[in-house]
Amino acid sequence: MSSGTEHEASPDTLDEPDDVWEVDIEKQIGHDEYDPVGTLSLITVYFLIIAFLWVFMYFVEFLGRGPTVV
Amino acid sequence: MGVFAHEYPNEAGIVRAALASSFVALLLGGVMGLIQALHRTGYVQVIDDSTYYTVLTLHGVSLAILFSIFFLVGFFQWAVTDSLDRPSEDIRFTKLWYALMVLGSIMAAVPILGGFIDQTEISADVLFTFYAPLEAHPLFYAGLAVFIIGTWLAGIDWFRSWWAWKQKNRGEKTPLRTFMVLTTMLMWYLASAGVAIAVIFFLLPWQLGLVGGVNPLLTRTLFWFFGHPVVYFWLMPVYMMWYVILPKLAGGRLFSDPLARIVFVLFLVLSVPTGIHHQYVDPGISEGFKFLAMTNTMFLLLPSLLTAFTVVASIEHGARQRGGSGYFRWLTDLPWNRPAFTGMALAALMFAAAGFSGMVNAGMNFNYLVHNTLWIVGHFHLTVGTAVALSFMASTYWFLPKITGHKVFSKRLGLVQVVVWFIGMVFMSNAMHRIGLAGEPRRTADPFYDGVTFETSLGTISELHAQIALGSVLLVVSLLLFAAHILLSWFNFADKDAPTPDTIPPALSGPEHAPAVLENFRLWTAIAIGLILLTYTLPIAAIVSGNGWFGPVTTFIGDTSSFLTGLFHAVFGVIP
Ligand code: HEM
Ligand SMILES: [Cu+2]
Repeated sequence: MSSGTEHEASPDTLDEPDDVWEVDIEKQIGHDEYDPVGTLSLITVYFLIIAFLWVFMYFVEFLGRGPTVV
Repeated sequence: MGVFAHEYPNEAGIVRAALASSFVALLLGGVMGLIQALHRTGYVQVIDDSTYYTVLTLHGVSLAILFSIFFLVGFFQWAVTDSLDRPSEDIRFTKLWYALMVLGSIMAAVPILGGFIDQTEISADVLFTFYAPLEAHPLFYAGLAVFIIGTWLAGIDWFRSWWAWKQKNRGEKTPLRTFMVLTTMLMWYLASAGVAIAVIFFLLPWQLGLVGGVNPLLTRTLFWFFGHPVVYFWLMPVYMMWYVILPKLAGGRLFSDPLARIVFVLFLVLSVPTGIHHQYVDPGISEGFKFLAMTNTMFLLLPSLLTAFTVVASIEHGARQRGGSGYFRWLTDLPWNRPAFTGMALAALMFAAAGFSGMVNAGMNFNYLVHNTLWIVGHFHLTVGTAVALSFMASTYWFLPKITGHKVFSKRLGLVQVVVWFIGMVFMSNAMHRIGLAGEPRRTADPFYDGVTFETSLGTISELHAQIALGSVLLVVSLLLFAAHILLSWFNFADKDAPTPDTIPPALSGPEHAPAVLENFRLWTAIAIGLILLTYTLPIAAIVSGNGWFGPVTTFIGDTSSFLTGLFHAVFGVIP
């Protein structure tokens, strides 16, 4: 599959080039060299936020009110 | 491989037509959204309170049904043709299903629009959930049925292509994108059966006067049989974008192809038997069935968590290939100047926030706190209103050149557009959640009641109303930018050249690692059906034995049905 690399200059510089794969890759990282620690960090932060919000919702918003009449 | 539009001009034509239909619905629905938001907060009231439901029906149907589904069928047509690298088996059939979808939309839209005209009795002010005993003109239900049949034929079209491909490629794994389309469509067949039965056997005969009445709880339950999994019909194409396109745009590769397949199979198996979680406060369904629906819903978290991990890991891979490092610093090494990437990443961020409010909705106890309040509206404007809608719009910046054959007008304008949508939704949705917690109901033109004050924990209710109004204005500004941009790009006003053909890089862990059993669609469909029967047979039997198929009214068909109900009794003698 071809991927042309010549680009004509364009006034809207953001338009060029289309594909970050063609210009920005500094090094290819294979399956075995890749360790997604950033993902782990992000997901940990997310989990902490969710857990905190859940506790808040349950103890403050839910238990903090009288019984619901439905 | 060249540009899609040149290689498959006929298919590209259908994709363009589907996208165009989708964008018309988006614009129309968005303007209705603005009218509602300004009306119910009291800022600008251009309609009477009594017309509010006409507007809200148009908003719900245009956005949740037409915009989303037209877009995804177009996207799926591209995904199948491009990944199998073969044209439609019969382009006339492809045109047929598209035409049916358009016909169905027009049939449904006419009675909805009739609600605006005082001189006619024709109306369909029933909201997109059309709960009986609200009544719409028969054309509305018939239109929905025709639209859904169109989507069914689309699925058949894609299965045909896959089948033909398989004959030539024996023993090969189905390409990932086609695999995702097919699992999604199988899920959709199961899910839409519920609403099709409700419409064809109950609501339409009732509106045509063939039967004396309906059992509202039955049609409502059938609606939610479809109403929950329909959210996966919107989301699975978005997951496809996040799995397949987003890593590529980030400069990375999909972390694991087999994991992506497993996620789609899990959605096929688990999506449907959860609908009762929308009916936690419905009288007439016992707590046990509701508890079962809640349990199934929690299981459904699994594929979403797997998705969160895989997608973030694939993006991080891109950042690291671009030289990123550290625990969080790599986030700065992503292509934030590109609208397709930024829009989809912001959409995914919103989806993470929606995970929290969804958790609250899904709990049987928590649900009482927020049921039918504006909280719910806040929640699904994060999911379908942003995770889906913003991903669709953002991906268009990447996708449109493939089907028009020339680049989009301006990436900078696109960037502004997606960011404005995000900011608008932060205001609108956050305020909706908090107003909902204070108890303000959804689906009302006028939430101000004498002697009732809504207690908010931080800030006043009128500050929150102002945030809704502000958010809605930003959202519509973003929509107008999008519409203008699409027009400019579509007709190539800036005279852009053809896009350079690009390819999707292979996954880090490729399809060869996927167990062969994943390809066994029959097995997964059978398991899905089994689970559906387990969760739904008893509740439906109980609902019908309580009030009959057609409500308590006696009619010929109603009497026949009581015979069938008797059968149910005999089989499930335990039910009162
Ligand atoms: C321009 C942006 C939007 C604005 C200002 C907006 C505003 C609103 C408001 C204020 C409501 C609540 C009305 C009420 O309950 O009284 C609502 C409901 C709804 N919105 Fe939106 N919305 C927007 C975009 C979207 C999008 C993109 C989608 C889906 C793709 C969507 C789907 C829905 C649905 C399904 C409902 C529920 C309708 C019902 O209760 O029957 N909205 N919207
Ligand atoms: Cu649901």
